[in-house]
Amino acid sequence: MATTASGRTTVPAPRARQPRRTTSSLTTNPGGFWFVLPFVLVYAAFTVFPVLYGFGMSFFNVSLAGAPTSFVGLDNYAELLGDSQVWRTLGHTLLFTVISTVPLVVVSLAMALLVHTGVKGQWFWRFSFFAPYLLPVSTVVLIWNWLMQGDFGFINGVLGGLGLPTVGWLSDEGVALTSVVLITVWWTVGFNFLLYLSALQAIPESVYEAAALDGAGGWRRTVSMTLPLLKGTTGLVVVLQVLASLKIFDQAYILFGGSGGPGGAAAPILQHVYDTGFVNYRLGYASAISYVFFALIIVVSLGQFALSRRRGRTAA
Amino acid sequence: MTRTTLSRRTALRAAGAAALGVGAAGLTSCADPVTGSGSGGQLAYWNFFTGGDGERMVQLVDSYRDEAPQVQVTDTTLAWGAPYYTKLAMACAGGRAPDLATMHMSRLPPFAAHLLDPFDLDELAARGITADQFPERVWDKAQHDGQLYALPLDTHPMVLYVNTDLCDRAGLMGTDGQLAPITSAEQFLDAGRRLADVTGSTGISWAAADGLGGWMMFWSVFRQLGGRLELPQGGTAQVDRDAMVQAFSFIRDLTDGTICSPTLDGPAAPAVFASQQAGLFVLGPWELITAETAGIPFTMQQFPALFGDQPLIRADSHSFVLPRQASLDPARRSAAYDMAASMLRNSLSWAGGGHIPALSAVSDSPEFLALQPQANYAGAADVVEYDPDAYFSGSGSQLMSFGGQQILSVSTRAQTPEQATDTFLTWVDQQLAIPSPV
Repeated sequence: MATTASGRTTVPAPRARQPRRTTSSLTTNPGGFWFVLPFVLVYAAFTVFPVLYGFGMSFFNVSLAGAPTSFVGLDNYAELLGDSQVWRTLGHTLLFTVISTVPLVVVSLAMALLVHTGVKGQWFWRFSFFAPYLLPVSTVVLIWNWLMQGDFGFINGVLGGLGLPTVGWLSDEGVALTSVVLITVWWTVGFNFLLYLSALQAIPESVYEAAALDGAGGWRRTVSMTLPLLKGTTGLVVVLQVLASLKIFDQAYILFGGSGGPGGAAAPILQHVYDTGFVNYRLGYASAISYVFFALIIVVSLGQFALSRRRGRTAA
Repeated sequence: MTRTTLSRRTALRAAGAAALGVGAAGLTSCADPVTGSGSGGQLAYWNFFTGGDGERMVQLVDSYRDEAPQVQVTDTTLAWGAPYYTKLAMACAGGRAPDLATMHMSRLPPFAAHLLDPFDLDELAARGITADQFPERVWDKAQHDGQLYALPLDTHPMVLYVNTDLCDRAGLMGTDGQLAPITSAEQFLDAGRRLADVTGSTGISWAAADGLGGWMMFWSVFRQLGGRLELPQGGTAQVDRDAMVQAFSFIRDLTDGTICSPTLDGPAAPAVFASQQAGLFVLGPWELITAETAGIPFTMQQFPALFGDQPLIRADSHSFVLPRQASLDPARRSAAYDMAASMLRNSLSWAGGGHIPALSAVSDSPEFLALQPQANYAGAADVVEYDPDAYFSGSGSQLMSFGGQQILSVSTRAQTPEQATDTFLTWVDQQLAIPSPV
């Protein structure tokens, strides 16, 4: 339904009166197939095939060092059940996902709300908050590696100057993963911020005007109207963020030079997969680990899908 | 003057044609790698040298190009560590490996088993290269199953960088422009304390939080203490536990925050030395360029014997290897021998990066002996200690990385030396028990 300039509401005409379309729609038109074909080919060659091939590899003792390959059945899967490093690094990944998703959602929302209040120089804030997201991961991590140096890093310098105890950002087992979270938040919060900001800008002004007439103050409007109206966006941001955080690898790998951090406390499961397959030459076993992780991601995704569907139903 | 305007259509057409051309060239070079016949031909060479080493490697490749203008050499540089070794292994397994490749000798065993061809000693002799021209320990490490699988280019041992100004002020310099001899661990620690008084921060820069930097100190000290570590696949580690505990204890003594910071990582340790916040610095010789660029007064020396009477030093060597080919072209293989021999002969320029040339004709030459500070530590090549043999050992390996974690945990006092030893040996035994990929 649309409202015309004259204020009259135009009702879509019944189907029968529409001029009959002479060509079939995009979905039924066989021509559509040819448009999709290039993508399908690339997708099949570089996603579907490797996924299936890798799954097959997980049942063999494939070695990068060229040793003869033989079928080992479920041995790789049996081995990973008893591999403490698999469960430890999986724990790191899950912990990272939890402690990075919360700030990445909350901070980005706060930033979007602040910018949306109408501060001067909107473009400047938008640019500043989003700019780190445009940097390559290696640049981001190298900057933070120097900031977080234990002995002469900027952050510890400031802490020391304020008379506070310095922190072993990169050398303390209990802090290492938090350092990765800090870097990740600084680096990627801009993307969520942008999603929130565009959602905020899509809320029509008239809604707020009506609320203001009813006597709702700024705080009340934010809590009772803005946040509920952002529910859909929050769902989207959380889904995207959880999936992105589960894939944690590059920041942690570069920050600690591939060592996994102090006591291996910042080694995510993907690094264990990488080390097993590419450093230790055990491609078959590494595949098995990655497929167990893959299954976990699917479970998480389905769980989120179910949740959002239920939410959608209750909302409707 | 007429100006021709390039229409978008023409440009696209040209670009398309160029892309097709490149693609076609790529295809033909895959299908039929050797275009020339007889003396001409192509040669693919892979290495992992970037930065200062990278420039010197290009010089070496160019000098071979000058010697053999009929051979078209394609040199490819990849990031060192796992990215390089992964690609090399993949290329070997796929049967389309480069004709010649660079490799750390500490990473040789798993590659030599299935992916490389041994060198033919007669072919090498025909090019003037024989076993007696290499330091014995280096030559021995290049063997696998009684055959030569790697042709050593250099040795890069752990060395001691000396800030001559700071060490002078700490009263540590001898009369010959070198550090007064250090003959015990206590003396080394004391030198660190005295330097810390001079710098006002720490005395010695050493990267306890870096896998490579940490491991080379640990392995040198462990070997000087007489420690042995043997890693039989499928068995349990044969190790001198006491020596390992002692080595970890030394690490703890060293990293008391005055002698040495417990938390310097890979990029930080050279930076501390270059900014004169420490008087001594311990790492491989490749930071020579960093120190030169910083313009500080410095020299480099062989790392001393802190324990025992032999200054055993953890080292690794860059070498050339012959990846196994699906179908071997004798002309290309012969050119690979030529190129390796040429780069060895010309390795004086390679020594500019701090590495000790492996070929005695170069390392004994008056030119090299006049090279400062490289000549100071050239003797280290006779006392090098390579990492233990295992598929998960060597430069950039899991052994180094896991060992590095234990070293850091001792220096930050998260573990006692006994705990670190137990953690390390438990892990090593686990690695030996799991199926080997070799």
